[in-house]
Amino acid sequence: MSKIKSLAASLLVTATFLPAMALAGDVVTVTDITGREVEVEVPVEKVILGEGRQIYFTAALDGEDPFKRVVGWRDDFEKADNDGYHQYLEKYPEMADLPTFGGMKNGTFDVEQAVALQPDVIILNLDAKVATEEGGYIEKLGKVGIPVVYVDFREKPMENTEPSMRLIGKLYGKEDKAEEFIEFRAAEIAKVTDKLAAQSDLAKPVVFVERAGGYSDDCCMSFGNENFGKMVEMAGGINMAAEIIPGTFGTVNPEQIIASDPDQIIVTGANWELYVPGGNWVGVGAGADPEVSADKLAGLMERPGFTGVKAVRDNNVHAIWHQFYNSPYQFVAVQQIAKWLHPELFADLDPEATFQELHDRFLPIDYRPGYFVSLNSSK
Amino acid sequence: MAVSEIVPTEEGRGLYRALAFRRILVICGLIVALAFSFSLDLAIGPARYPLSEVLSALVNPSGAELQTRVVLWDIRMPIALMAITVGGCLSLAGAQMQTILANPLASPFTLGISAAASFGAALGLVAGVAIFPAAVQYMVPINAFLMAMAASLFIYLLSTVRGVTVQTIVLLGIALVFTFNALLSLLEYLASEQALAAVVFWTMGSLTKATWGKVLATFIILVVCVPFFARHSWALTALRLGDVKAASFGVNIRSLRLKTLLGVSLLAAIPVSFVGTIGFVGLVGPHIARMLVGEDQRFFLPAAILCGSLMLSATSVVSKIILPGAILPIGVITALVGVPFFFALIFADRRQSW
Repeated sequence: MSKIKSLAASLLVTATFLPAMALAGDVVTVTDITGREVEVEVPVEKVILGEGRQIYFTAALDGEDPFKRVVGWRDDFEKADNDGYHQYLEKYPEMADLPTFGGMKNGTFDVEQAVALQPDVIILNLDAKVATEEGGYIEKLGKVGIPVVYVDFREKPMENTEPSMRLIGKLYGKEDKAEEFIEFRAAEIAKVTDKLAAQSDLAKPVVFVERAGGYSDDCCMSFGNENFGKMVEMAGGINMAAEIIPGTFGTVNPEQIIASDPDQIIVTGANWELYVPGGNWVGVGAGADPEVSADKLAGLMERPGFTGVKAVRDNNVHAIWHQFYNSPYQFVAVQQIAKWLHPELFADLDPEATFQELHDRFLPIDYRPGYFVSLNSSK
Repeated sequence: MAVSEIVPTEEGRGLYRALAFRRILVICGLIVALAFSFSLDLAIGPARYPLSEVLSALVNPSGAELQTRVVLWDIRMPIALMAITVGGCLSLAGAQMQTILANPLASPFTLGISAAASFGAALGLVAGVAIFPAAVQYMVPINAFLMAMAASLFIYLLSTVRGVTVQTIVLLGIALVFTFNALLSLLEYLASEQALAAVVFWTMGSLTKATWGKVLATFIILVVCVPFFARHSWALTALRLGDVKAASFGVNIRSLRLKTLLGVSLLAAIPVSFVGTIGFVGLVGPHIARMLVGEDQRFFLPAAILCGSLMLSATSVVSKIILPGAILPIGVITALVGVPFFFALIFADRRQSW
């Protein structure tokens, strides 16, 4: 009896370990941004990107061929960052043939299509979490052995960028590259934060960040305490809308800009020709013509809410690439904002050079300036 | 004999006069309240100017500082006026829809006009589609307007078909609401987060898009429609007694209904395409007016316009007080401000007003 028992027990043990043994060394348990523990067979060879702009981090790790793992992605890259999309398209024309998904953010995605592509992992943005959980997608995909992980570069970028990059590094089998990136990023951020921390009596300018200025004729979307709002604080400024907007995103009464009289204005923009053809947005981004951007930026300052505001009088009006808010390249934006806010203090800091270095060391594409423009040409 | 005949007539005349006088008083009260709310709307804002400065900038704009002048004349004034014209248009549209369709639930919302406008706007915001490609920069309001008019014309054309009753029109409208809502959801499903935010904000309604041009456009449509309705006020009042009775008074019901439907379409489509969906006003504004002055169009017409204007103007003030400096979607606040007042009226005045 006891023999049978122990036999049964050993059989059971073998049975439990067999599948694990067959894949031993390949399957690791990773913890994603939401704290979920997910088993993934690494390095992954087929990936579905839950957002097209996830190519920003994929390219940073898979610099030699960013599309080698990607078997499907969401269709937002072309629309949200038209210039960046075309820069990649020039070099990787095959990316136009990748299967695309729509609507993964607010609703769902086609599980059947995802399964048919047989990915080793699906990488989703944190903001897709509610929708995917409601749809029970994780369980459905789990049944066919497709793990899902969440990363985040948008909701809490300053906290989540490092763990996200580490996680992706592990999935791609590029831990070293990921660490190198994290180190580079931390060092570049420290160039700003260390210097600011050393200042005993720093005069912090009030900064108004207009989110996607000119995207619609509504004025004025802005950021609360997170994202660009946080970046402004890190760069030694006071985010004007921090106390007005309860969450991360919100809209400010145009009159408030006159009332707060900000010292600096930063407008985010990108080439949104596919979203709002001929719109008033400032099309900063890869290789954008600075004169066109500056003209459009100056045009935006003619709206009533900006009349006679200190920043406009002093020409302290700047435009910055909108997609910094959703990519691991945010540290470049922090440097540029710091330089705009404290030009003397950061006279030696060269954000363009930092971005150039990021491209040279990590990305497969050449750096094309055009991500920043300022009406104050001395800066 | 002759004496006893005269007395009740005299009495009736007195009663009628008192009633009319009371209704005129109510309308005057509404005008005063609206003027007060409009002044508050101009006086309140994140830039805390003292009242004296506001007054002098209003009376003598060229003498005021540039910023004060811009805040008052380019930011606060268009919004304050837009609240009044849009509120008036929507409420009037709702009032006449309820009259001609003999249905207390009729409003620009229930007939699918708002839903059509939302779909048109979303088409521009999400897909970048301009129905009228010549004016790309105004694509969102133009799309919204064209869609709203298409929906209205569809209802209009179908209601000219013989044998179509009022109930059929209401059902048609409801079918349109569902169709356009489904199309809107489809677009939202496909949208990027940036476009989605824009669509959601648009559908919640906002007065911040107000400009002098838009104020003028909504004002003109109001000025065009009011005389038309005023001229037919007796016929429209008669219509509320039922089609058969109205017809027996010599009212050409069919033609009146069609003309009114056309006017109502314009009244609803233009404001909605400018400020987005503000649903509550078109439904409740007329009901409040009806409770205050009754069904007689001579009083009901101005009262409905004033109630709508007052509701939206008060909302504009309240939204500035609730979250100073930020912009709250006006459609949300309208309902929150209007509902308690509406409840109070329903319970204070239990006689059957519909």
